[in-house]
Amino acid sequence: MKIGKKWATSLMLVAGLSLVLAGCGGGSQPAQGGQASTGSQAAAGGGAEKVYQVGTDAAYPPFEKMEADKITGFDIEVIQAVADAAGIKIEVKNTGWDPLFEGIGSGAVDIGISAITITDERKEKFDFSEPYFEAHQLILLPEDSTVTKLADLQGKKIGVQSATTGETVVKKAFGDTYEGIKGYDDTPSAVDDFFNGRVEAVVADNAVLQDYAKKITDKKYKLVKDDSFEVENYGIMVKKGNAELLGKINEGLKTIKDNGKLKEIHAKYFGE
Amino acid sequence: MDWGVVYEYRELLYRGVLNTILLTTVATVCGTIMGLFIGLGKMSKNPVLRVPASIYVEVFRGTPMFVQILLIHFSLIPAIWRTFFPDADIPTALFSGFVALSLNAAAYIAEIFRAGIQSVDPGQMEAARSLGMTRGMAMRIIIIPQAFLRMLPALGNEFIALLKDSSLLAVIATEELGYFAFSVAKNTFEKLPPYLTAAAIYLVLTLFLSRVVVRGLEKRYTPK
Repeated sequence: MKIGKKWATSLMLVAGLSLVLAGCGGGSQPAQGGQASTGSQAAAGGGAEKVYQVGTDAAYPPFEKMEADKITGFDIEVIQAVADAAGIKIEVKNTGWDPLFEGIGSGAVDIGISAITITDERKEKFDFSEPYFEAHQLILLPEDSTVTKLADLQGKKIGVQSATTGETVVKKAFGDTYEGIKGYDDTPSAVDDFFNGRVEAVVADNAVLQDYAKKITDKKYKLVKDDSFEVENYGIMVKKGNAELLGKINEGLKTIKDNGKLKEIHAKYFGE
Repeated sequence: MDWGVVYEYRELLYRGVLNTILLTTVATVCGTIMGLFIGLGKMSKNPVLRVPASIYVEVFRGTPMFVQILLIHFSLIPAIWRTFFPDADIPTALFSGFVALSLNAAAYIAEIFRAGIQSVDPGQMEAARSLGMTRGMAMRIIIIPQAFLRMLPALGNEFIALLKDSSLLAVIATEELGYFAFSVAKNTFEKLPPYLTAAAIYLVLTLFLSRVVVRGLEKRYTPK
């Protein structure tokens, strides 16, 4: 009995250790690969073609989402079309929202496309392409609500996705530390809690709310537009000062705008 | 780096610290009470008590708290309310936080209780029974007070873990200390000041728990 236990313990230790080793071994390989492909050497060398790393937060349908193990969505088709038009190779990775900004800053990610609104604040730290999508905020409300504009929501709980323009407009209206703001990690969570009655409204991008609300056919709601909301432009983000890559992206973007490809993708996702 | 953002968001910080303390306190109290009963259930000879208690512990100990929080907040609580209290409002994220932390803590505390009680020499129970005490009486008067002292260090660990794990509640927009850090970091692009501020406050709170609360309890329950 005692020997049996000892054996079991050592077996578990060996198993655990080999797992750790396997983890280390596996971990170092992609890290090296990542370095090689993001290093500027590869592009300058001219031998192997540089593959640009595209980062996105694939939890923002219909712009980007995970479909089984593939990242799909409007943004993904746009960046692929841009890359094709500009003659560059890309690889799309699901980085999440915050790590995307970190990754662009550190150079681990070359291009960011994730329904990113071009704002002055962001322009201080990153460079943006020409706009490829126009968006505005909408307010998701119960069907019988009397609210007609954002200001009517004073004192009420409002769900937003943290650090998106939705949160910015609510903060602008009610203050940075307004108690009613509930900042979620993703918009679907905020919408879920809206239908659970935990927040009285959700402020988010039109396309995202419209797309999500389309799927909810068994519940009553309405979408209200506040005319004071500014129109926002989504841009493709690169590291500050990376003019070479930005030039290629803008060139590709111009091509797909001119040849109708962008319009085609837009129609596929949002209708006319 | 701009430390001014911490000051700018100070109201969020105050509310965050208060909610973190509130969440930890409620979960500690509820978790301890539930944990005691589940722990006793696990030691019961009656399988009707023992089996559910064992399943409970395995489920809550064997799944990530992060997943438990999401399940409880988005699925379990709305489903329960829609079924049993259709007219009442579904409770807020803070309530989900109380429930998730308490249920999770109860599983760990049940095991701490079981270990503590089983560490008391069975001769003590036999002696108490031979003096004419019932099992329950012996448990209450003889076994648990001795076991409690031995459990205190482990309980202290659990309370500290609970305090730190409450930061996971940020994902459901519970306004606690972790939410403050994430929210400020995401909105201002300043990472170090909000995260370091939150870390320092967590450290102060855990030090208070281990140095003052747990040590105080140890002194109080050590026989003179």
